[in-house]
Amino acid sequence: MNETRPGDAMLTDWRQAAVRFERAVSGAVVGQDRAIRLLTIAIFARGHVLLEGDVGVGKTTLLRAVARALGGAYERVEGTVDMMPTDLVYHTYLAEDGRPRVEPGPVLRRAEDLSIFFFNEINRARPQVHSLLLRLMAERSLTAFNREYRFPNLQVFADRNRVEREETFELPAAARDRFLMEIGLEAPRDAESRRALVFDPRFHDTDALIDGIAADVLDHAAIPGIARAIQHGVQASPAIETYVVGLWEALVRPGGAGIRLSGIDMDALVQGGASPRGVAFLVRAAKVRAWLENRTFLVPEDIRAVFPDVMAHRVFLEPVYEMRRATIVPDLCRAVFDTVPAP
Amino acid sequence: MRVRPLPLAVLALLWAGAAQAQVRSVEVRAPRAFGYFLGDLVRAQVDIVVDAGFSLQAASLPQPGPQAYWLDLRDLRVADLGPEKTSEGEARRVRLFLTYQNFYAALDVRALEIPGFAVTFENVGVHGATTATAQVPAWSFTISPLREVVPPTRENPVDYMRPDGRVAAVDAGPLWWGAGGFASLALLALAGVARDRAWGPFRTRRGRPFGAALAQLRRLRRAPDAEAAYGEALLALHRGLDATDGRRVLADDLPGFLARHPAYRPDAGALGNLLGASRLAFFGPGLAAARAALPWPALEALARRLAAIERAA
Repeated sequence: MNETRPGDAMLTDWRQAAVRFERAVSGAVVGQDRAIRLLTIAIFARGHVLLEGDVGVGKTTLLRAVARALGGAYERVEGTVDMMPTDLVYHTYLAEDGRPRVEPGPVLRRAEDLSIFFFNEINRARPQVHSLLLRLMAERSLTAFNREYRFPNLQVFADRNRVEREETFELPAAARDRFLMEIGLEAPRDAESRRALVFDPRFHDTDALIDGIAADVLDHAAIPGIARAIQHGVQASPAIETYVVGLWEALVRPGGAGIRLSGIDMDALVQGGASPRGVAFLVRAAKVRAWLENRTFLVPEDIRAVFPDVMAHRVFLEPVYEMRRATIVPDLCRAVFDTVPAP
Repeated sequence: MRVRPLPLAVLALLWAGAAQAQVRSVEVRAPRAFGYFLGDLVRAQVDIVVDAGFSLQAASLPQPGPQAYWLDLRDLRVADLGPEKTSEGEARRVRLFLTYQNFYAALDVRALEIPGFAVTFENVGVHGATTATAQVPAWSFTISPLREVVPPTRENPVDYMRPDGRVAAVDAGPLWWGAGGFASLALLALAGVARDRAWGPFRTRRGRPFGAALAQLRRLRRAPDAEAAYGEALLALHRGLDATDGRRVLADDLPGFLARHPAYRPDAGALGNLLGASRLAFFGPGLAAARAALPWPALEALARRLAAIERAA
């Protein structure tokens, strides 16, 4: 981007680029406007994203579409039970001359240029792999071949399906906390999108569909800079600070905030979670949303728009309620917003 | 093994001699031998004295149940009265309590015989078990008819019936009083529950949050610090919106609010201005910008209209 232009104009240009990016992706992935908006927010908040959903709703297609529109180097691995951390870092094989060779694996192959690392079916990989990802996600660095690799532009996208439980490993809390968002993906509800998805041959060939997306809509190398500019450019008033702290308190201690859900002991519902890092992520994502909505200050709606996806997976319930998580946590989030006064 | 005949013969002799004296006496006692009617219980007590060491075989006792077409054994209890000293040495007294019921419908006075039965006793020693049988003899009692065989003739067959017994009239007054008292107590309790649950007459009119907000605005008009008063006025109207909707209403929720409360639709534009001004005041540039966008008179006029709609609703 043109660095000599004033900051506001630069942010405006980038907002238009973000809109073009959303449009490009939604051309290929129909009926997922909310997920695309959240992914855009995650890209400009420099956060990692975990997509969750049923089989065949388009998780992989969506991430491939985003990767193509975002540009930059892109690597993809499939999680398997026998995958080891070294499989991500090294690739060993016998060369044609019969000698063993060690070459950089998927993470290191594109080295510093890597912008999207896409981990498919992450819950099939073992905890050892998850812990390698921890460092990759939190510090964007990795030590291998006796030196440290840095990935300044790296964003980790992962997906997992909700259906299968066999031969899968639940992500550790620390790993889940490092994801900015956990976006639940569902098949579109409206009849028109469904008809199109089923009958339009364009959606049957995923490769052609992805190739149809305009590549490199955003300049991935400039995004870290613009993300910093957004965080400085969008103001948070004292009222919104009070509001966010109130939401946080109500989420962790719903009983004390006067929230009642039927059939649940509110004082023994939330075990922990909702880390300070999580709340900081929340504000970061909300600021990006405010910028996308062409505002220079945060409003409660920004917080509310990203809250379920940023915060829900960071709340840890008592084991009694954990199995009913899918219904309890959305209710809890809704109740928190119905209870905490906005201004 | 070589058999030694002599000790065996001695044992057999001893056993034969003992067998005669094992059951010493059997005695049947009844409270009376006459004066029984159809359906009466006939009780008897049987005392059996046996040698010490013998005990009753419960299985040999008669089973309660029909004994003959006219006789049921209703109940049988056994009491072991324990050892007693007699002139012939240690003995044991066992007492049976028998309760029969007589179903013989007699037309004249006649004697009936209750059949006898045998009871087995056994003595378990180191050399094996010895049994002895006590024969309880049959015994008889006399039963009487309930009425004459041929009663004197009557004109009216109804006269054969005995007249109905007279029953004293029950005074229902106290019962009525009690019923009335408890009914009024129940009504009082119902009133308590209705008050607790806000049913019927206790359903007080819905609160008027916009009315309260308007009252607060009128108080704030005289406040010296106009800037802070404006912020408080905005907050008061926010609380009015929240209380009306039962949830927190943000600026983006306005269409939903109007859908749920269509009475406020005519003021949609003004409500939008209010929420926009509040956004500027609390989250954006500040109170001054908000006052420029929505001056105090407009704010108060909006509050008045909202309160009026609320009263009319």
